[in-house]
Amino acid sequence: MTDAGLAYGASDPSLAVARPADELVLLMPQAMRARRHPRAIAAMWAWETVLALLASGPAAGLARAAWRGDQPLWEAGGHALLDWLWHDLHGVRAALSGAEVVLVLSTVAGLVPMAALMAALTYARRDRQAAAFVQCIAAGLRAFPPMALLLVVAGLLQGLVLVAGGFLAVAVEGWSHARLGEARAQQVEGLVFLLVLAVAAQTGVLHDLARASVVRFRVTGMRALGLGARTLRRSPIVLGWSWAWRALASLAPVLAAAAVAGKLGGHGGFDLVFLFVLHQSVVVVRVALRTSWMARALRAVDGTSSKAMAQVGAVALLGS
Amino acid sequence: MMRAVRWSALAFFAVTALAPPEEGVSTPLVQRGRDLDVPVPTAAEPSAPAAALVTPLAGRAYDDDAALPAHADDVADYTLVATLDPVAHTVHGAGSITWRNTSTRPVRELWLHLYLNAFKNERSAFFRERVGGRGSAPPEDWGWIDVRKLVLRAGDAAPVDVWPTAELRRTGDDDETDARVPLPSAIDPDETVHLDVVFDDKLPIVVERTGYRGKYHMVGQWFPKVARLEHDGTWAHFPFHHLAEFYADYGTYDVTLDVPEAYLLGATGPLVESHVVGGRRVERHVQADVHDFAWTAWDAWQVARETIDGVGVTLLYPPGFASMAHRELATLRFGLPYYSAHYGRYPYEVLTVVHPQEDAGESGGMEYPTFITSGGSWLTPPGLLAPEIVTLHEMGHQWFYGLVGTNELAWPFLDEGLNQFAEQDGMGKWRGEGSALDLAGLEVSDAALCAVSGNMGVHDEAVAQAANAFSTGQDYGSLVYARTASVMETLRRVYGDEPVMRALGRYARRFRFQHPGPDEFLAVFEEVLGSRVAATLRTALFEKGWVDYVVDGVSAEEATRAGGMFDRDGQREKVESGEREGGGWDNSVLVRRRGTLSFPVDVDLLLADGSTRREHWDGEGESKRFSWHGSSAVRSATVDPQDQVVVDANLQNNRGGANGRGGGAPRTLERVTYWMQLALQAVSP
Repeated sequence: MTDAGLAYGASDPSLAVARPADELVLLMPQAMRARRHPRAIAAMWAWETVLALLASGPAAGLARAAWRGDQPLWEAGGHALLDWLWHDLHGVRAALSGAEVVLVLSTVAGLVPMAALMAALTYARRDRQAAAFVQCIAAGLRAFPPMALLLVVAGLLQGLVLVAGGFLAVAVEGWSHARLGEARAQQVEGLVFLLVLAVAAQTGVLHDLARASVVRFRVTGMRALGLGARTLRRSPIVLGWSWAWRALASLAPVLAAAAVAGKLGGHGGFDLVFLFVLHQSVVVVRVALRTSWMARALRAVDGTSSKAMAQVGAVALLGS
Repeated sequence: MMRAVRWSALAFFAVTALAPPEEGVSTPLVQRGRDLDVPVPTAAEPSAPAAALVTPLAGRAYDDDAALPAHADDVADYTLVATLDPVAHTVHGAGSITWRNTSTRPVRELWLHLYLNAFKNERSAFFRERVGGRGSAPPEDWGWIDVRKLVLRAGDAAPVDVWPTAELRRTGDDDETDARVPLPSAIDPDETVHLDVVFDDKLPIVVERTGYRGKYHMVGQWFPKVARLEHDGTWAHFPFHHLAEFYADYGTYDVTLDVPEAYLLGATGPLVESHVVGGRRVERHVQADVHDFAWTAWDAWQVARETIDGVGVTLLYPPGFASMAHRELATLRFGLPYYSAHYGRYPYEVLTVVHPQEDAGESGGMEYPTFITSGGSWLTPPGLLAPEIVTLHEMGHQWFYGLVGTNELAWPFLDEGLNQFAEQDGMGKWRGEGSALDLAGLEVSDAALCAVSGNMGVHDEAVAQAANAFSTGQDYGSLVYARTASVMETLRRVYGDEPVMRALGRYARRFRFQHPGPDEFLAVFEEVLGSRVAATLRTALFEKGWVDYVVDGVSAEEATRAGGMFDRDGQREKVESGEREGGGWDNSVLVRRRGTLSFPVDVDLLLADGSTRREHWDGEGESKRFSWHGSSAVRSATVDPQDQVVVDANLQNNRGGANGRGGGAPRTLERVTYWMQLALQAVSP
């Protein structure tokens, strides 16, 4: 559900008469909020869960076949787990390879649900309902080509930053090793690499802003990149921090869950159910935080670029 | 030394004994050692231990410290002065060696170990042994030792420099680590001689055990060392091998170290004298009852000191490694009193721990008397217990190598193997099931790592063989270290912690300052735990013994009345088979034991009503069937449910479901799915 009163042109009665009720309208920036779209977040969680099950199924099947019940695998001490990894090494490798394939494919295929999620954040139906699932998927499919281009460009850019930064960090470590000692030199190396990571992260922010532009303005990938850059240039620190605090916050539940899992051990029954609920809660929270950031990116590009887009004739109302 | 070598197996080489030695002549035993014929010594029985005891045992007298000898029998004393040039990375050494013939025969030659020559060129035995692992790559800067003179002073005879007649190499062999020195006259049994020695070392860049890296210097295997003369007059001399190096007589080392003033020193034995003169720091370290001496010098050492269990511990660590120093001290706070309680009191005043930087990592994980090296990155997370394991392992060598002076080349399992067991036992008692890894809910024990690693090579080679007979470093690591430890751990779990620890403690105390072999070790275990345990040990160590317990069949059938013709009360009666009166189930479980080892095991039977019954099998015979009639059907069976037989070759077949049924894998599915979800979120667009 959304507040259609926050949509561009939603209050224009002539438009309301002229167009069907399920037509999508662009939301005002302040209405682009993750918390207004729990079903979209749930759908994103479901997408990730299905992929994860595809990837983890072979490993679970292997464990089931080998152990007739996997309780020993998760007992403290790890003897059975190590014994399994040794005896079924080929099977485990095959399962890992399958998981890798799923991961790689999901990197590309995941552009559609990501764009659909952003569409859900950006648009609403004229009848004040949230955009339908099919409408969002359609928007996601439309956004796929420019998003794929952005993925390649941003991936190359980030890779370049990381590789160059890695070389720089290693060079700094080598240069300072004799002067500072190993530990201090490695700490300096770590600092340099943190700076490199910050640059890479900022590249990621640019990437997300460009994606937001694709969904918001339906422009080409390169045009979206320009709009994203314009947005980032306007407030790099605010936007960088906006991404960073969510990224850091998404680590907290992972660490907390790891601590709880350590306490629970490999028990079954209620403990296992509790662990499942806990782990899935962690995943949902992380999806929500990611969605929150994407909404922030949409608001940012909207605020920065609407004027610019008006000048190039982009529309604020979209047909379904 | 701590090794983590895990490579594939290639071949097996047996140890072969030669004829008994001639009087006063070195007759090393020869074995096929990969691609080179390097003489190696072995103990009295190189291929298998004798059935009879060769050394009288002493029963309970050695179950505590009351009967511990105060001192070793001094055989080889070294008084040396060593001067370090940290720029040229050289050590000039001079001093004297006092040596006594403790054999029953006169000797006409001496054997000197010049182990620094292992790093002189690629034709040394060390570099010819392509076993993989650390120390395999030639050093960027070679190292060597040049003996300048060796003046013999014996009785009333005039001093004579015997070095010019020394034989540094054998014909066709470029190795220069094992020198034969003919003597002008025989040295009689119990006669003492003095040798004045002058030598120059050029240290290699850090390789395997010794060397320099910048201003850091670790100086081990650095002086001419007299090989050990066995009681029967046989010299236990051997080149410096890749996988083992230690065997020597006990004595007193009085060593004066001379380094630039800015350098801090760490060395074997307590500091008894120290002064600074002319910009040089001069320290004298004296230690009795040891069989080696090593030292380190660096101008960047940070120092932590603490008295632990009455022992003055000095920890030398690089700047920025304080967290590692704290972890290593914590390890010693547990380890020193624990090992003293179980294996006999630590008899020395001091223990020095050296933590090298990672760029000098090959000098880490090493043991010398009262002086050990650890290792690891300053960033090692607390849940990864490698620093603790290495520290405890090297500290343990103070007992299994230092105080019990076995021949590491001939019987490495008595040194590294028993010490590995002591390490995993200690880590387990200290840190529980997460004694190797305790991260994010995953607990892996040191014992589990050893169990799996030990099983990897069990069919390739025997555990009990000379170090240089192993085909690969992986075989050596998995068998000498891990397999020995796993066999011992199995005994401990099956027969009980108290008797097994008592047996090992009795062995360690009984043979303190002595040089026992496998016979003595097995005899003590037979004395404490009986002949079956001793036989199991012998099979496991000498005959590639293995075992795999298997649940081979679990069945539950509804009980039926037996049909057919029966003669009862003089009448022949036909009985139709059918449902049995009272119902119930006929259950049957078949458990097999494959392999050459046997241990008593439990078998847990899970019934349909949720109850469990535990049966016991003495492990004798090749299989055992458990059959019973009951009101509840058997659902599954598990042999060795408490994971006592950690040498079990395959744990997967330890469980069986009734009529082929089995459980699912919900834990695996839950965790792996969660991990995959996190991975997807990390790579997702």
